[in-house]
Amino acid sequence: MTVLDRPTGGTRHQRRTPRSWLRGGGLSTLIFMLPLLVVFGVFSWFPIGRAVVMSVQTTNLVTAPEFVGLQNFRDVLADPLLWTAVKNTGYFALLALVFGYPLPLILAVLMSEVRRFKGLFSALAYLPVVVPPVVAVLLWKFFYDGSPTGVFNTILGWIHLGPYPWLQNATTAMPSLVLEATWAAAGGTVIIYLAALTSVAPELYDAAEVDGASVLGKIWHVTMPQLRGILLITFILQIIGTAQVFLEPFLFTGGGPANSTLTVLLLIYNYAFANSLGGDYGAATALSIMLAAVLAILSGLYFRVTRSWSTS
Amino acid sequence: MKSPLRMSTALVVPGVLALGLLGACGSNDPVAAPSTGGKVTIEVSIDQGLEQGAIDAFNARVKQFQTANPDITVKSKEYTWTGTTFAAELAGGTLPDVFPIPFTDGRGLIERKQIADLSPLIAKLPYAEKFNPKVAQAGEAADGKMWAIPIAAYGQGLHYNRTLFTQAGLDPDKPPTTWAEVRTDAKAIADKTGQAGYSEMTQSNTGGWILTTLAYANGGRVEAVDGDKVTATIDTPAMKKVLEYLKSLRWDDNSMGANFLYDWGTINQDFAAGKIGMYVSGGGNYGNLFTQNGLKPADYGVTILPLEGSDAGVLGGGTLAAVSAKASPAQQAASVKWIDYYYMQKLANKDAAILDAQTTKDAGQPVGAPQLPVFDRATYDESQTWIKGLINVPIDQMKPFTDGIFDQPLLPEPASSTQKLYAALDPVVQAVLTDKNADVDKLLADAQVTVQSILGKP
Amino acid sequence: MTIPSPVTPALVPFEVGPPDAAGPPGPGISTAARRRRPAKKPTTELGDRGIVSMADWRRARVRRAMRSLQAVLLGLLFVAGLGPILWLAKSAITPTQDTLRTPLSIFPHGIAWANLGTAWTRVHIDQYFFNTVIIAAGSWLVQLLVATTAGYALSVLRPRYGKAITGLVLGTLFVPSIVLLVPLYLTVLNPPLLNGSLLNTFWAVWLPAGASAFNVMLVKRFFDNLPREVFEAARVDGAGPFRLFWSVVLPMSRPIIGVVSVFAIIASWKDFLWPMLVLPNPALQPLSVRLPALQRFIELDVFLAALAISTIIPVVLFLVFQRMFLRGAGFGGAVKG
Repeated sequence: MTVLDRPTGGTRHQRRTPRSWLRGGGLSTLIFMLPLLVVFGVFSWFPIGRAVVMSVQTTNLVTAPEFVGLQNFRDVLADPLLWTAVKNTGYFALLALVFGYPLPLILAVLMSEVRRFKGLFSALAYLPVVVPPVVAVLLWKFFYDGSPTGVFNTILGWIHLGPYPWLQNATTAMPSLVLEATWAAAGGTVIIYLAALTSVAPELYDAAEVDGASVLGKIWHVTMPQLRGILLITFILQIIGTAQVFLEPFLFTGGGPANSTLTVLLLIYNYAFANSLGGDYGAATALSIMLAAVLAILSGLYFRVTRSWSTS
Repeated sequence: MKSPLRMSTALVVPGVLALGLLGACGSNDPVAAPSTGGKVTIEVSIDQGLEQGAIDAFNARVKQFQTANPDITVKSKEYTWTGTTFAAELAGGTLPDVFPIPFTDGRGLIERKQIADLSPLIAKLPYAEKFNPKVAQAGEAADGKMWAIPIAAYGQGLHYNRTLFTQAGLDPDKPPTTWAEVRTDAKAIADKTGQAGYSEMTQSNTGGWILTTLAYANGGRVEAVDGDKVTATIDTPAMKKVLEYLKSLRWDDNSMGANFLYDWGTINQDFAAGKIGMYVSGGGNYGNLFTQNGLKPADYGVTILPLEGSDAGVLGGGTLAAVSAKASPAQQAASVKWIDYYYMQKLANKDAAILDAQTTKDAGQPVGAPQLPVFDRATYDESQTWIKGLINVPIDQMKPFTDGIFDQPLLPEPASSTQKLYAALDPVVQAVLTDKNADVDKLLADAQVTVQSILGKP
Repeated sequence: MTIPSPVTPALVPFEVGPPDAAGPPGPGISTAARRRRPAKKPTTELGDRGIVSMADWRRARVRRAMRSLQAVLLGLLFVAGLGPILWLAKSAITPTQDTLRTPLSIFPHGIAWANLGTAWTRVHIDQYFFNTVIIAAGSWLVQLLVATTAGYALSVLRPRYGKAITGLVLGTLFVPSIVLLVPLYLTVLNPPLLNGSLLNTFWAVWLPAGASAFNVMLVKRFFDNLPREVFEAARVDGAGPFRLFWSVVLPMSRPIIGVVSVFAIIASWKDFLWPMLVLPNPALQPLSVRLPALQRFIELDVFLAALAISTIIPVVLFLVFQRMFLRGAGFGGAVKG
């Protein structure tokens, strides 16, 4: 930073009066700050504070809120559905890692070697990301039709597989959700990896070749270490993202069959919005706060990683 | 007195337009009391996703109403009651002034005073004393005052696709009369046509709704009320029988198709598309199937549910017309007028019944789908004769239902925490239909505990 | 979503400028992208190479193996990336019964162009599309307004309380949006300062979108890297804070405005849960919210036509502005790096 670091400087060590504040541009600064203050005040800071308060109250919009201490947290922790939801969310995250994490990397490594029509490759890979997520889910819901004439079952029938129940079975429902989610998101990650791959210095490969490394050897010893940082980041981001999965279970299965795709976020939604006679907003915020605590740890981790990585 | 009145009316009109922005104001505005001179605007519900013909029919009725009541301006708003959004819309003040709610929510909303107390206005209606008591109680407070008006009642029926029956070599004029026959017919349809023989709703509380229906039909109940104490009666032989029955249709016969995540809207759609042989739903469902899902009338048949076991009965429910607690007294009065005109007159008044039927028919919409009487049986039978010449639904195909439904004992839905109870039963029926090895005993034992804990909460 | 797209932009860090890119303006696009571009034309000889060396490429065996591998890859990408979209395009003009009975036949028995017209008029896809555009435009505008004014105030004007504000804004990065779901919803039902509910108004979507700490930090970082000398010169020339903002800072910040815009519009286009909650009135809903509800009212062929219409617009936009999209996505990576 330069000497001009503090453009409004000067006023700093003087005695401040309203007049000097005004003359120093205090008012115009405040005007510029106003959109931030209003929007963040009303739609971020205030609701965050409110979340904390609501988590220790019963709020039903009919009677005045009542302080209940940690009762909401106890209720949520005693709800057998919570553990189902936590387990399901963890399962979703795990499956998403198994399916969705290596796939973009493999694609990106393969695509980075493409000499001609590279644009076509990336465009094709990215296309699913462009499809509006809701459309993608509704379309795949049709593909997942469990009857033998369903789209996927017809295709698999050609090679004498299936018919599979897809969404209509507690065992296959979650993998089906993850499959669609992976399809929808992989392209974005591919592009990120591709960008990262081009920044791997060619000299490193030259050097590895001098040492007699094979192609796989080069991938393992040169590419991977170079991508280490970005891989860790996409890993953490993916965990954070999957911990908040909502759209897929909500639209595909509504949490079914038999709660097998009920996720934490869907449970929060159900607490707050599913009962036609008024939601349990206290339980919903209590669970939100618990989820947030877990996510905050993850994002703290993420923060540290990006920090250390960008300064290294 | 003239000027404040005029001022108040000037305020009311934009006030309604900006209903969403005004929140709670206006409810106790003394100057806006019902009067003859003031103009008032009310917002009323029109079903979502209607065919153009149905919208035209609705608009024609609005016009007729406004001609008869020049002081009232009626605005319509697309609105269909949905369990997941209702509470939010109620709290957010975004509901129309007049909106339909299911019987199951009436008591809860009245207790919390979340809908307007219409009892003084309702008491003045000429048919106030004529309501069928079993139906009326859904809209009444504990003290017997009626806050919301029952506009339609239904008894559950078994809907079936006559075309699929014929294709399966079954006689569409002889629908099943026992659950065993339902099973054999379902298997025949599945085997011969490749479509689902029998399907069942399982999502968004409808799973519990239909499961309860089946339990009733087999002599079971899901709640036992003793004074203030409500006990869950989920883990019972009747419920076990129902689940074992569904299990055999699904896993032994494979006659339930490939979709086990239906809710009310999606099962209607698949039935209208000819993908379902039979399913259980409200007996008056024809109108929705026809107007929203494009059902071919020739396909349609409906019969009564087989009742087996002592104390078996048919689950009945219905729709109440309620008025927003935020509506001003003038709006409340106008709203009751609208409810009386749009929903009730056709049930109680000959000329209105004919006019309604004619208008509906002219728009190509169904007239004469079976309903349960909101009033006493005599009024209902009489009303049916008024519109005889205008009926355009395949009423002969509904005969198995209309001939039998009035003789079936009608049982109201569980009174306590109805929707929550239904929600707790959804996963039970889903488990049975999607998991071959589902343990019915364990499912019921678990559900018993869950429901009991729901009922134990205030 | 496997990669948190709309929910967690708040968690993407705001370390924008690549650490080695000292010279502004033009933080934003990664070193990778920059290093890449000059090498764009002469890809075949020399210069930029991948894992497989040029020498290897010249060997027939390697070349054949790589070519066939890439042909397979291209085939798979075709099927996975384009397949569903092509299927949707076909089914949009296929009668329902054909789609149900033989979903994969290439030539339907009849072509039902009417589906598209029905979807557009009777189902009012036009209206929901219009709502989607309005919502995206408003969110974009609010986000830009907040981010640029705040970035300017925090980075250039630097009031004494700026540090505290920055801290408060930064803090919200650690609060995932999910925590806000219910309290924010209740805030919209009954907002402070304002008298009346925002439910069923577009403001309920627009305003909360503006509270993006990610945007503010992104823009602030960018402004931090702008040359102070220019500001000082402008000030000497007598430019007040408003002139400085409008005529100096904004014109210099086109790249970052572009980035924020792309993020804002994509996020708004994808959003589902929030608009579903705050816009229960069907007449105001965007496509993403309305489509699932429509499913139960309309026949399958018309529904698929509606899905196709909703897809075609972003796909065409993508194909036209492909470079920008991919750079934006790659930028996401650069941001993360």
